Amino acid sequence: MPTLSYQSAAKIAYREMLASRGKFFFVILSVAIGVAALTGVRGFSSSFRATLLTHARSILAADLSARSTRQPTPDEIMGLIQIERAGILVTPVTELLSMASVPVTMDPLLVSVKAVDPTRFPFYGTVDLDPAQPLAQALHADTVAVGDDLLLRLHLKRGDQLKLGNALFTIAAAVTNEPDRLSSNFSAGPRVLMSRDALDRSGLLAPGSHAGQRFLFKMPQTGTRGTVNDSAVADMKLHLEKLLPESQIIDYRETNPALTQGLDRATSLLSLMSLVALVLGAIGVAMAMRAHLQQRLDTIAIMKSLGARSSQVIKIYLLQTLLLGLLGGILGVAMGVGVQLALPLFLAKLINVVPDLHIDPRSIATGLGAGILTTLLFTLPPLLDIRNVRPILILRRAMDEASDDPFISAVFAKLTRNYTQILAAILILGGLAAIATTLSDSRTVGKYFTFGLVAVLIILLAASWAVLRVLRLFLSKTRLSLPSSLRHGLANLYRPGNPSAALLAALGMGVMQIMTVYLVQQAVVSELHISSAPNLPNVFLVDMTNDEVPGIRAVIAHQPGVTKEPELLPVVSSRITQLNGAPAADVKLTNFPKRMLQTISLSWSATGQPPEGTKVTKGKWWTPQQESDARKHPVVAISDRLADRLGVKVGSTITFAVQDTTMTAKVLALTVSDGQHAYGRAEFVLPHDALAGLPTVWYGGVHVDPSQVGQLQRALYAAYPTVTVINVAAALETVRAVVIQITYVIQFLAAFSIFAGIIILASSIAGTRYRRMREVVVLKTLGATRARIATIFSIEFAVLGLVAGLVGVSFANLIASRLLKSLNVAYPNNWLTSIVGIFLIAVLTVLTGWIASHRILGQKPLEVLREE
Amino acid sequence: MISVASLNKSIRNGSRTVDILKGIDFTIPQGQFAAIMGSSGSGKSTLLGLLAGLDTPSSGEVHLAGTAISYLPEDQLAQVRGRTIGFVFQSYQLIPTLTALENVLLPHELNADPKLPGGSQKDGLARSRQLLTSVGLEDRMDHYPVQLSGGEQQRVALARAFVLRPPIVLADEPTGNLDTVNGAAVLNLLLNLNKTEGTTLVLVTHDPVLASYADRRITLRDGLILSDELTPTLA
Repeated sequence: MPTLSYQSAAKIAYREMLASRGKFFFVILSVAIGVAALTGVRGFSSSFRATLLTHARSILAADLSARSTRQPTPDEIMGLIQIERAGILVTPVTELLSMASVPVTMDPLLVSVKAVDPTRFPFYGTVDLDPAQPLAQALHADTVAVGDDLLLRLHLKRGDQLKLGNALFTIAAAVTNEPDRLSSNFSAGPRVLMSRDALDRSGLLAPGSHAGQRFLFKMPQTGTRGTVNDSAVADMKLHLEKLLPESQIIDYRETNPALTQGLDRATSLLSLMSLVALVLGAIGVAMAMRAHLQQRLDTIAIMKSLGARSSQVIKIYLLQTLLLGLLGGILGVAMGVGVQLALPLFLAKLINVVPDLHIDPRSIATGLGAGILTTLLFTLPPLLDIRNVRPILILRRAMDEASDDPFISAVFAKLTRNYTQILAAILILGGLAAIATTLSDSRTVGKYFTFGLVAVLIILLAASWAVLRVLRLFLSKTRLSLPSSLRHGLANLYRPGNPSAALLAALGMGVMQIMTVYLVQQAVVSELHISSAPNLPNVFLVDMTNDEVPGIRAVIAHQPGVTKEPELLPVVSSRITQLNGAPAADVKLTNFPKRMLQTISLSWSATGQPPEGTKVTKGKWWTPQQESDARKHPVVAISDRLADRLGVKVGSTITFAVQDTTMTAKVLALTVSDGQHAYGRAEFVLPHDALAGLPTVWYGGVHVDPSQVGQLQRALYAAYPTVTVINVAAALETVRAVVIQITYVIQFLAAFSIFAGIIILASSIAGTRYRRMREVVVLKTLGATRARIATIFSIEFAVLGLVAGLVGVSFANLIASRLLKSLNVAYPNNWLTSIVGIFLIAVLTVLTGWIASHRILGQKPLEVLREE
Repeated sequence: MISVASLNKSIRNGSRTVDILKGIDFTIPQGQFAAIMGSSGSGKSTLLGLLAGLDTPSSGEVHLAGTAISYLPEDQLAQVRGRTIGFVFQSYQLIPTLTALENVLLPHELNADPKLPGGSQKDGLARSRQLLTSVGLEDRMDHYPVQLSGGEQQRVALARAFVLRPPIVLADEPTGNLDTVNGAAVLNLLLNLNKTEGTTLVLVTHDPVLASYADRRITLRDGLILSDELTPTLA
C-alpha cells in the first residue's frame, strides 16, 4: 500500500509553517499562553497552598487530633501503638483544671493545665515563650511555662515557684503564643504548660480525674516539598473514628472555618482559572487552525487531485498540529515557569509568605501534555473536515453549498450526515472532561466545568445564530436607508465563508469565562475580607455572672484599643435527656461521646435574628410569634455539624434538662458559624423566653489592639478578679494574615488569567484578518479610502464585540451565581460592572481588529490580485 | 480507455438548480489526443472534473481503463486518480512550499508502492530529475514555485503529470496563462511527452489553434455535444 512517508509529510508541514510564520505565531502564542497560565497558576497555587496548609495545620498543631474526656483504654493504647509503628507520629496532650498556689502566700487560683511532650509538641507551628527558647529547653520535670495573666494575678515573675498538686515547679518562661490555642477548650483560668514528666510528678492525673485528653497525629511526608497526602489524612481519620469511638476526630481542614473556607474557595477558584486558561488557549488554536485550513483548501485540493488520500493529507496537518502544540507547549512551560518565579517577587511586598518554589517536572509534563492534547482535540474538527475537501475546487470555486451561514449549516449538516464528526465531538468532550478532572483539584469543579462548557457552547452558538438572524432581518428591512459604511459593515457579518457565528461563539465563550473568573473572584475576595475583618474578637472573657455583665461592658467601653462593643454570649449549662422522644442513652450518635450529652451549653439570642456570624443552612429562624410562645413551645437552632453527630434534623425534638426543669424543644433551624464571633461557640440557641430565669454564665469576645491586651487584662482583673481573660490575638492574627494572603494571591492569579484570556481572544480575532485581505483589495481597487475601509471593519468588529459581550456577560452572571451558590458565597448582582464589561469587550474587539487589519489596509491591491 | 455514458451534472446555486451537463456520451480510445472545446460556461471544465473523478456526476457513468469511477468512495477515487491520470492545470497548481523537484516527486510519494519495481524513493527521484531535465529545468530543480516564471511553473506541472507514467493525461487550458512563446513551448513539450510516454491526452480549451493539434475535437455548447469530429488527416 503506497503511503506518504512521515518524513515527507513532516517536510510539507514544516515548510508550510515556515511560509506562514506570522499566522502560526498566533497559534503558538495561544497554546503558549494557555499552557503558561496553566503551569504558572497551578504551579504557584500548589506551592502557595502547601504553605497555607502548613499554617492551617499549625492551628491544630497536627494533621489530625482525637479529643476525648477520658484516658484511653488498653485496646485503644494498643491501636495507637500500631499507628505509631506505621510511621505516623503520635503525641498526647492532656488538659485539666486545677488549683495553683504560691508557696509563700498560699493564694489559690484556678488554672488550666496543659501537659505535652515538649520534644514532639507541636508538630506544626511553634510555642512562643518569653524569654524566647525552645519548648524542650524550658519544660522539664520541675518547671512550667505560664500565661502572663497568671504572673499578673499571683504577682509572680519568672524564676518564682508555683505549687501544683503535690509538687513545686519553677516558672521557666511566660507563654506568649500557643499554635493550637484556638482549638483548645476555652476553660477557665490562666494557662500552665508543663511536660508529661511534670504532670506525673504533680500527681494531678489521678485515676478518674476529669482530664481532657487529646492525641495529635502527624502523617509521614510523602510529597517532594514535605507535603502530606490529603487522602492519607482522610483515611487516617476514618481509621481513628473506628479505633476511638468515644473521641471527636478532626483534621487540619476543620480547625478554623475562615481559613478552611478561604482555602476551599481559593482551591476551587484556582482550578477554575487553570481550566479557563486552557480552554481559552484551545479556542484560540481552534480558530487559528480553522482559518489556516480554509486557506490551505487549494493545496489540499491539488494534493487530492494528484491522488492523495484524505488520510495522507490529514497526516500532514496532524503533524503540523502536533508540532504547533509542542512548540506552544514548550514556550508556554517556559513562560509558566517564569510566571511562577516572578509572582512571589510581585507578591513579596504584600504577603509574608515565601512559597517553597521549585520546578516540578510533573507539572511541566502536565502543562506540555495538556497543551498538545487540547491543541489536538480542538483541531480535530477542522482536520476531519479535510476529508470533505473536494479536488474539483481547483477547477471551480462555486460549489453547491451556498447557505446563509456556512458555519451553522455546516455544523448541522455534519451532525446529520457525518458520524465521524459526532465521534470527534464526543472525543473532544471526553478528552476535555479527562483533562478537567486531572487538572482540577476539585473534582466537582472539573465536572461542572466540562458539562457547563458544552451546554454553554450549544446555547452560545444558538444565541449567536439567532442574533445574526435578527440583525440580518434588520438589515434587509432598512438596507438602503442605512449609511453605506454601516450597511457594508453589517453585511460583512454575512460574508460567504465568514465564520461570524463561530467567532461570536468563541468570543462569547472567552468573555463568559473571563467575566466568570472576575465575578467569582470579586465575590470570594469580598467574602474573605469579611472573614479577615480587623475588628473580630481576639480576646475572650470566661465565667461572667449576670450581675457582672453591665459592669464589664462599662470597663471594656473605657479601655483604649477596643474597636467594637464586646459580643457577649449567655450560657445555660444543661444536659440532653431525650432525642426525638427516645432516651438519650439509647440513641446512636456519630463521633459524639455520650457522656458529653451531660454537659452541653444552651444560649439565647437577644435580637430575634441569627446572631452575628451565624447563617441558617436548613429550616428557618423563629418568628416573633414563636419567640413569644417559646416558654410553652420551646424551639432551638443547632449547628449543622452537631446536628449530624446527634442525628437530628429540622423538625426533630430535643429534651433538655437544666437543674430540675426539663423542656422539649423543636429543632427549627440548622446553622453554620464563621467561627469568628462569640456565638460561634454556641451549640444550641433558643429564644430568650425559653431560658429566662435559669442560671446563666456569660462568655464574651472583644477586639482589642493586640498591644493593649495586657492593659485590658489588668483593668478587668482589678475590677472582676474571677473573670478569666483569654488572649488569642496572636493566633487570630495568623489566621487573618493567611486569609489576606489568600485574597491577594487570588486577585493576582485572576488578573493574570484574565490578561491571558484577552490576548488569546485578540489572536482569535486577528486570525480572521486573512479572510478580509481580498475584500480590502477589491474595495481599494474600486476607490475606497483606508479610512472608509477602517470604518466598515470597525462597525463589523463593534457589532461582533457587543453581541459577544452581551451573550458572554449574561452567561457569566448566570454561571457565577450558580458557582458562588455552591461555594456558599453571596452573589453580588452588579449590573454596572456587567454593562461596563460589555462595552469594554466591544472597544477591545474593535482595537484588536484594527491592530490585526493594520497591515492589510496598507496592502497594494496588485500584490494580492496577482496571488489569486 | 475513456468512456462516458449519459453524463449529467447539476449544481445548486442558492435556490436555483443549474444543469451544466445534459446527457453526454463519447468514448476516447487509448493513445488518442482529444480536445474538448467550447465557450465559457459550456460545461467543458465540469466535464474534465468528472472525467478525472474530481467530482461526482448527478447521473450517468464514467469509465477509465474499464473501471467505473463515478461512484467510487473518495479514497479509492484518489488511488485511481493517482495511478491513472496526470493533470495539467491552467494555473499550474503547484504546492508553493515545495521545490520544483519535490512538486514533481509528490505524486510518486503519494501513490507509488515502494515494494513494486520503480516504486522506491530513489526511483521516484531519478524519474523526477529526468522529467525536469526533459522540460529544460535541470538548473531550476531546487527552486520554489514563486522563484519560477509562469512558463517554468507550467513545465514543472507537465513533468509532475507524467511522473507516474499515467495512461491518461488531462490538461485544462494548459497555455491559458502563458504568452504566445511560452504557450507554444509548453504545448510542444506536452505533445512530445505524450508521444514518448504513449498516453491518452484530453485537452480542454477554447482556443481553436490549440485544438487543431488534436486527433479529435469534441465541442460543447450549453452542456450538450455540439460536434465531435476527427482531424481529417487522421480520419
